[in-house]
Amino acid sequence: MSDPLTPYLWLGALLFTCGVVCMATKRNAIGVLMGVELVLNGANVNFVACAHYNPTFALEGQVFALFTIVLAAAEAAIALAIVLNFYNNHNTVDVDAAEELRG
Amino acid sequence: MLDFADNPGMLYVVGTLVPLASFVALLTLGGLKNLGRRYKDTGWGQSLYWLLGGDEPGRAGAYVATCAIGISCVMGTIGLVRFLGEHPLPKHDHTQHTAADAHHGHEQEEPKHAHADDHVDAAWAGRVTFATVGRMQSDHRPGMKMELGYRIDHLGAVMFAMVTFIATLIHIFALGYMGDETQKMVDDHQAHVTRRGRYQNFFMWFSLFSFSMLNLVIADNFFQVFVSWELVGACSFGLIGFYYERHSASTAANKAFITNRVGDVGFIVGLMILWSSVGTLNFQEVFSRIRCPSADSDGKLALAGQIVRLDETEFKDGERTYKWTPEGVGPSVALFPLHAKHWHGLGAPDPKRSHPLDQEISVTPKAELDDYGVMPYWLLTLAGLGIFLGCVGKSAQFPLQVWLPDAMEGPTPVSALVHSATMVAAGVYLTGRAFPLFTPEARLAIAYTGAITLFTAATIAMVVHDIKKVLAYSTVSQLGYMIHALGIGGWIAGLLHLLTHAFFKALLFLCSGSVIHGCHHEQDMRKMGGLRKKMPITAATMLVGCLAIAGTPMFSGWYSKDAILAESLAFVTMNPGHFLLLLAPLVTAGITCFYMFRMWFLTFTGKPKDHHVHDHAHESPRTMTVPLVVLACFSVFVAWGWPLWDAEASYLAHVIGASEPAAAHAEAHALHEAAHHVLPVHSIAGALALLAAVIGAVFAVVTYLTRKLDPAEAVAQFPRVYRLFENKWYFDELYSVMFCRPALAVAGWCRTFDTNAIDCFIDNTAKKTISLSRFGGKVDSKVVDGLVNVTGNSIRYVGNSLRHVQTGHLRGYVLYLVMGAVGLFGLATYFVSLAAAK
Repeated sequence: MSDPLTPYLWLGALLFTCGVVCMATKRNAIGVLMGVELVLNGANVNFVACAHYNPTFALEGQVFALFTIVLAAAEAAIALAIVLNFYNNHNTVDVDAAEELRG
Repeated sequence: MLDFADNPGMLYVVGTLVPLASFVALLTLGGLKNLGRRYKDTGWGQSLYWLLGGDEPGRAGAYVATCAIGISCVMGTIGLVRFLGEHPLPKHDHTQHTAADAHHGHEQEEPKHAHADDHVDAAWAGRVTFATVGRMQSDHRPGMKMELGYRIDHLGAVMFAMVTFIATLIHIFALGYMGDETQKMVDDHQAHVTRRGRYQNFFMWFSLFSFSMLNLVIADNFFQVFVSWELVGACSFGLIGFYYERHSASTAANKAFITNRVGDVGFIVGLMILWSSVGTLNFQEVFSRIRCPSADSDGKLALAGQIVRLDETEFKDGERTYKWTPEGVGPSVALFPLHAKHWHGLGAPDPKRSHPLDQEISVTPKAELDDYGVMPYWLLTLAGLGIFLGCVGKSAQFPLQVWLPDAMEGPTPVSALVHSATMVAAGVYLTGRAFPLFTPEARLAIAYTGAITLFTAATIAMVVHDIKKVLAYSTVSQLGYMIHALGIGGWIAGLLHLLTHAFFKALLFLCSGSVIHGCHHEQDMRKMGGLRKKMPITAATMLVGCLAIAGTPMFSGWYSKDAILAESLAFVTMNPGHFLLLLAPLVTAGITCFYMFRMWFLTFTGKPKDHHVHDHAHESPRTMTVPLVVLACFSVFVAWGWPLWDAEASYLAHVIGASEPAAAHAEAHALHEAAHHVLPVHSIAGALALLAAVIGAVFAVVTYLTRKLDPAEAVAQFPRVYRLFENKWYFDELYSVMFCRPALAVAGWCRTFDTNAIDCFIDNTAKKTISLSRFGGKVDSKVVDGLVNVTGNSIRYVGNSLRHVQTGHLRGYVLYLVMGAVGLFGLATYFVSLAAAK
């Protein structure tokens, strides 16, 4: 495994896994959001790394990374607004409490 | 605007339409009032009802109707005067064909003679086509026109004046006679009911009747006559059944209507034959097609006015050729072109003419009226007989005379107007109008029909006790005289009698109405007697009527009856085989005299037989007696001429004679000339008629005035004859056995078949259908609904079991997501490695 890209991919995978685990385990909605950020940044690392080592996609990789950041920011804003509303209504940010729509 | 000065015919059109307007007005008012009565609970209904007079049966309608017919009468009179002014009478007329006339011979008999069918005066006629029937796009035929039109000739003008005049008088009479109907509630003692007064209703019917009758008189085609014919029939139905709560009245109305339908079948058959064979229904067109024209551009024609019979000769080039022979007995009748100026063939025995006598004419049968055509002779005879059958029904001739006596169930003004003076005269009028249509065979049938009728009806009139029934049978008998006269070719005599009879029969009926009114609806003559003192005006006027109908010299009936008997004598002199055609009217003249005086003596002279009736009898009010006096005057002088004592000098006969069809004129002229060589017809006929009348009168005086003879004894001597007469020659029984009972039996069978077979079948079908439906219902609820329910339930079950997947746990979802992603990744890796291995 002498490809210089590999360590970056490992890093991306690690970040992604950390994010997923964070989303799946945290009961706090803010924690879940943080997990989402980790997942996105894991993907960002992959984009940037691939762009760097594959000159064909030099520009595209960076642009996608930038898109992801912007989208992450927007998503965070909406998600935080939802969380705030949820707190106003239920006096908690525990995602397990949000079960009114269960089957 | 209507211009009466330039277009005097419009007088008649307007005169006809005024009663129609009155009818529509009365109908609308009556309808609105009924509407108001029905919705009396609502505000507008009540105000409408009270606005139109409330419970009172309005008198206004009666005055409207009377004014309407009065206007018509004025117009008719103006029209008559103007018409006579514009159409001066010819000097030598048929009624003056005495010995002196015979000397003058043919030379003075010019075709200029004012026969109406030769002269159509545009100002006095008009027509509108309202439909064209039978024209197809692909067809070359021109299509046949349905027309409405009017055409005034001497006869029409006189008839119009007569009808409107008598109708006006009878309207006035009815204003008084129908007075009972002005009450809010009328007690009908015969039907035992109390009902609302129907004063306005009565006059509504009268107006419609007047319109229909006038329309019939001015009509210029058979179709219009037929429409009016049915309308007067409907009015007659409504008026006979005016007291429809009485069973006898409603039955009589039905009888009249149904009997007339039998006649109308004949009428329709006649119309259809004319329509399909001749191609037109207009009087003048029909007659100019079937009768040979009097002249063409080459001069006079020998066969003028005759029905030309042709023999078939050969068939070549798709055209059949017909030939005329002097014997004139071929099986076909020539139909002449309407507007051609020149007629080939059919020449005269006139040496000046170049055409040979028996030149052939080639005929291609075409529907066009401007071309020659042919029709079978028997079909023409049948058409005449068919139309005459209609007249038989309407004019109550044998064998359809049974309805008229029953029609006396209607109020007396109805009997006077509808069933003596005008409507029943329509049949005679049409027979006269359609005269050129009748072939000699048809005419003989007409003559015998009339002769049988006049005799049988008169014999029945001798023995009935109801004062109105006497007059009814007398009417039938007198109508028989007219039909008889027309049949033997006495066109003027028949129609003159129609006019004079209208006056004195209206008078007699109104007198009887006055008697009935005065005796509080007692009609049996056996309960009357000695009423002369109580009702002097009625007695005097009725005596005038009796004298007129009996044929007393100088009274109007004398002129017409004398003319009829003279025609009969002339006819029988030339055709001795038909001697019954003289015997019947002669004997009946005596019988007529007998029964009329019997009626007068029984009613007005002798001792009162029923004191209850006699004590309460009174003279009628002024509205009733004035028409009596007016009619009595007319009954005397309507047929006068100068010199007064000459039965043939009647001015009215001259007027009517001016519109005599050329065919009738020529024939009557020839007949009279021939008869005069044998014996002086007129003086002998006059003497015989007078003798018969005197014998009848003497018998009546002896039996009912001086009581030298006891009628009961006469009855005892001829019990069978008496029973025959009293039972009206068993006509009703005969028809009952011949038609009613078989019809009822057939109806009974039909009913049995209906209840047993058809109903049974239908019931069973219905039951089967019900059980089938029940079965279908079960299938529907069990099988179809079950399937649907199973589908629904299973879907619900699946849904229920799947809903538990939605736990609502966010972290669980993430877990599934990741697991899914990993799973997909694993699968992708697997497939990629597989692909790489290949």
